Amino acid sequence: MTSVPLVSVFSADDSSKVTAKHIPLPAVFQTPIRPDIVSFVHTNIAKNRRQAHAVNPQAGMQHSAESWGTGRAVARIPRVSGSGTHRSGQAAFGNQCRKGRMSLPIKVWRRWHRRVNIKQKRHAAATAVAATGIVPLVLARGHRISQVPQIPLVVEDKIESYEKTTDALNFLKRFGAFEDVQKVVSTKVVRAGISKQRGKKYRVRKGPLVVYFNENAKLLKAFRNVPGVEVVNVTRLNLLQLAPGGQLGRFVIWTQSAFAHLDKLFGTYRYTSIIKDGYQLLRPLITNPDLARIINSNQVQEKVQPAKTTKVLHEVQKKNPLKNTKAMDRLNPYAKKQRAAAVAAIKANTKGTKKIKKNKALKKASRAAYNKVAASLNDATKAAVQEEQDIKVKYFSVQKGAAQTE
Amino acid sequence: MSQSVLWEVVKGNNAFLVKRNGLTLSTDPFNNTGVQTYSSTGFITKNAIGVVPTQSKVNQINNVNLVARKSTKFQQVDRKTKNTQSVYASTLSVKHGIHTASRVIRKRFGTRRLGLQKAALRKLVKLNRANAVRRRNEIAATKAQKK
Repeated sequence: MTSVPLVSVFSADDSSKVTAKHIPLPAVFQTPIRPDIVSFVHTNIAKNRRQAHAVNPQAGMQHSAESWGTGRAVARIPRVSGSGTHRSGQAAFGNQCRKGRMSLPIKVWRRWHRRVNIKQKRHAAATAVAATGIVPLVLARGHRISQVPQIPLVVEDKIESYEKTTDALNFLKRFGAFEDVQKVVSTKVVRAGISKQRGKKYRVRKGPLVVYFNENAKLLKAFRNVPGVEVVNVTRLNLLQLAPGGQLGRFVIWTQSAFAHLDKLFGTYRYTSIIKDGYQLLRPLITNPDLARIINSNQVQEKVQPAKTTKVLHEVQKKNPLKNTKAMDRLNPYAKKQRAAAVAAIKANTKGTKKIKKNKALKKASRAAYNKVAASLNDATKAAVQEEQDIKVKYFSVQKGAAQTE
Repeated sequence: MSQSVLWEVVKGNNAFLVKRNGLTLSTDPFNNTGVQTYSSTGFITKNAIGVVPTQSKVNQINNVNLVARKSTKFQQVDRKTKNTQSVYASTLSVKHGIHTASRVIRKRFGTRRLGLQKAALRKLVKLNRANAVRRRNEIAATKAQKK
């Protein structure tokens, strides 16, 4: 980047007033976004607040149970000795047994905490800070920042001297941060599970994080009763607060001096950090991560082959040419003409229906005539046959009704 | 921040992501299709337009607002803007008519990103129609009441 991005510092009393117009952005905000580092460091660091707990080492084992061995038609699991009670003879000790000890009982010397390399922790913190300056990431985390005038939000140091919660609330309202607080209030839910009986009754969201610098600042007391708001000193920035749940993009409100201190804290790309001894900010693997821009750049487009046009060989859905005229025409361009000719031919035949009728009439007449002739012929043949029969009967004494064999 | 990088961070988990019935959907106001995909996710881009209904009651679409994504570059806020000072969006109410709104959309996209443009316009039309239907019913109801 040739030009350093600039940030405005807002007046604490009036969100439209800007006390310092153009402050350069500390180099931390240019750190590459590394959710993998943050995720790794977070999962490990989150374990460090755990308190040791364990199961009573004697739990489930306070019996003089012994296995009955084989031959008794029962399983070989140790059984409670004695008699006179239901408990006697019941299975004991095993993790599968009722009232037995659990398998691999938790010991106090379980490794509760994790150490993470300092460099990794610092990189994670730097990335998390960078992410707080990226609007889409803060949105993606779920903060309600639609009314916030600028991100990162930097306010003059006056808020460090706030003592009353009303001042704090009004300040948040002025800067559009109250919507986030409202979100926290309205989504406060009773926790599911036993934890609610163990001191964690409510599940509360995270609201804005206010970061200050001067040690004798009173704003902690002003802000601490506002639901969801956390207050932290720059020198003690905590990944668990900057990326709660390992999710980048907390909504952070910086005071001016805290913001200015970031360069000393994390160093820049020109010099290593003073406070984090020798720490150098992570450098990006790719200086220009904008894929679209790279692909559309002149240098790439010059070398690239022209885009292939997808040639559609056939329709996605097959159309039957025997039924679909357009499909037919595509296959056989002459089909259109054929169809037209057929239509014309039909029309030609139907033209002068008189002629057809005449033809029909003629046909009918001729058929009638033929039938007449055929009928008379039939009669004639019948008569002739009858006559022959009669002659035979009369002169040759053939029996009437006898079969004619000739 | 480039869209590609942001997408890699945000695609797995974000506040707008809704996974239901095997679908991956999004409640992102800048997403006009409702499905979470790289191109339709507007809040990670520099120049998206979201068509957002405004409601006074539940299931009642009063009006439609266009929410235009502002550049992610740090804003110089000494400029006096009519719109509410907002870090990520400026809103335009569509009271003036669907034509002005569609013009805004077309102008923003120009000849590029036809798919997104169409999605925005489609949503605008649908919401507007829903609004019109509702108002028609309202008017009919008040008329019936008067009688």
